[in-house]
Amino acid sequence: MTTLLEPSVPGETYTLLRERMTIRGELDADSFLPWIRRHASKLGLFQDIVHSGPDRIEVDLAGAPELIDMMEVGCLLGPINVWVETIDRRRVSNAGG
Amino acid sequence: MIVGPMLDEWYPVGIFGQLDEAGRKTMLMGEPIVVARNGNGDARVTDSTGRSLPVRVRYGHVWTSLGDPQKELFAIPEADQPGRRFVDVGVVRVRCSPLRAVENFLDIAHFPFVHTDILGAEPHTEVQAYKVEIREDVDEVWATQVQFYQPQAAKSASGGITTQYMYRVAGPTSTVLYKTCPPKPSEWDVITLFVQPLTEDLCDVWPWMALFDDDTPMTDLIHFQQTIFLQDRSILENQVPRLLPLDPGMEMPTRADLTSVAYRRWLKRHNFTYGAQLVAQ
Repeated sequence: MTTLLEPSVPGETYTLLRERMTIRGELDADSFLPWIRRHASKLGLFQDIVHSGPDRIEVDLAGAPELIDMMEVGCLLGPINVWVETIDRRRVSNAGG
Repeated sequence: MIVGPMLDEWYPVGIFGQLDEAGRKTMLMGEPIVVARNGNGDARVTDSTGRSLPVRVRYGHVWTSLGDPQKELFAIPEADQPGRRFVDVGVVRVRCSPLRAVENFLDIAHFPFVHTDILGAEPHTEVQAYKVEIREDVDEVWATQVQFYQPQAAKSASGGITTQYMYRVAGPTSTVLYKTCPPKPSEWDVITLFVQPLTEDLCDVWPWMALFDDDTPMTDLIHFQQTIFLQDRSILENQVPRLLPLDPGMEMPTRADLTSVAYRRWLKRHNFTYGAQLVAQ
């Protein structure tokens, strides 16, 4: 779902995406979850971890599309003790479905 | 510092054509070595105990390893292609991590800002989408379908062109660039960056080229490439942190950095960490 935000600059509009990012690999949730929260915060993204396990983490993100792209690129590396195999993204509604 | 699996990889340690029997004293990952030509004209590399190290002579350079390489030195088929000119550019010493030197070579976005009016120019600063993959069959990083506007893509280019690129990481400190060949559009010019890790934050960089260019004097070809790399050196020597972070930490990589990210992922997968910073600081 795409939501138009109030422009911060008169005459300018930008979009806010809500996406669910599914990260798969050899994931150490104890170190990766705080890393994800920290990285999303630095990017100014809304975040909500909806699932975490040793091989799959799902996080809902909301923000500008370019920033969600940057979140994906950052997560591909992640912390040193984590190996990310794949990242899938899909749009979600505000209800999270 | 534990060198780890990088010990068993191949590294360039000199230009074969410049060897003599007295030898060149240098270093490989902190280990003093001597690179010499023996009485038969063959290259010989020895460590500080006098032990002979494995040797290959390829792409104008002498290659060796402190360990026991399980893979043969990577292939560059263009090195055997008739009609190309092979250019040993020389050596540039850079006070940076050897991995940083490779990563900088893979970075397209810096062209307009560091190599202004040569490899890039404002306002043509956008890096268009391209493909990056770790090719499992050859265990290499490849970036393809890269294109960028360049005012003077090569010494043989007479004006600005949109240059096509392919990047290849063939070893932890060896990378190959394939780019549009202005005088022969059906072929790729090959420009490599072979990096000799002296220590974790000091390296000798040995660029080498295989070009279709019959007209440009050799000294001009060498000077062109050295000019490019000397522009990079000032950037490389001021990067913080000095080692290449494998956890992005304070960095915020973008889609334009996907080749760098793939390179770092590949290093991480192989535990190639000599010259890397493991934990963000």
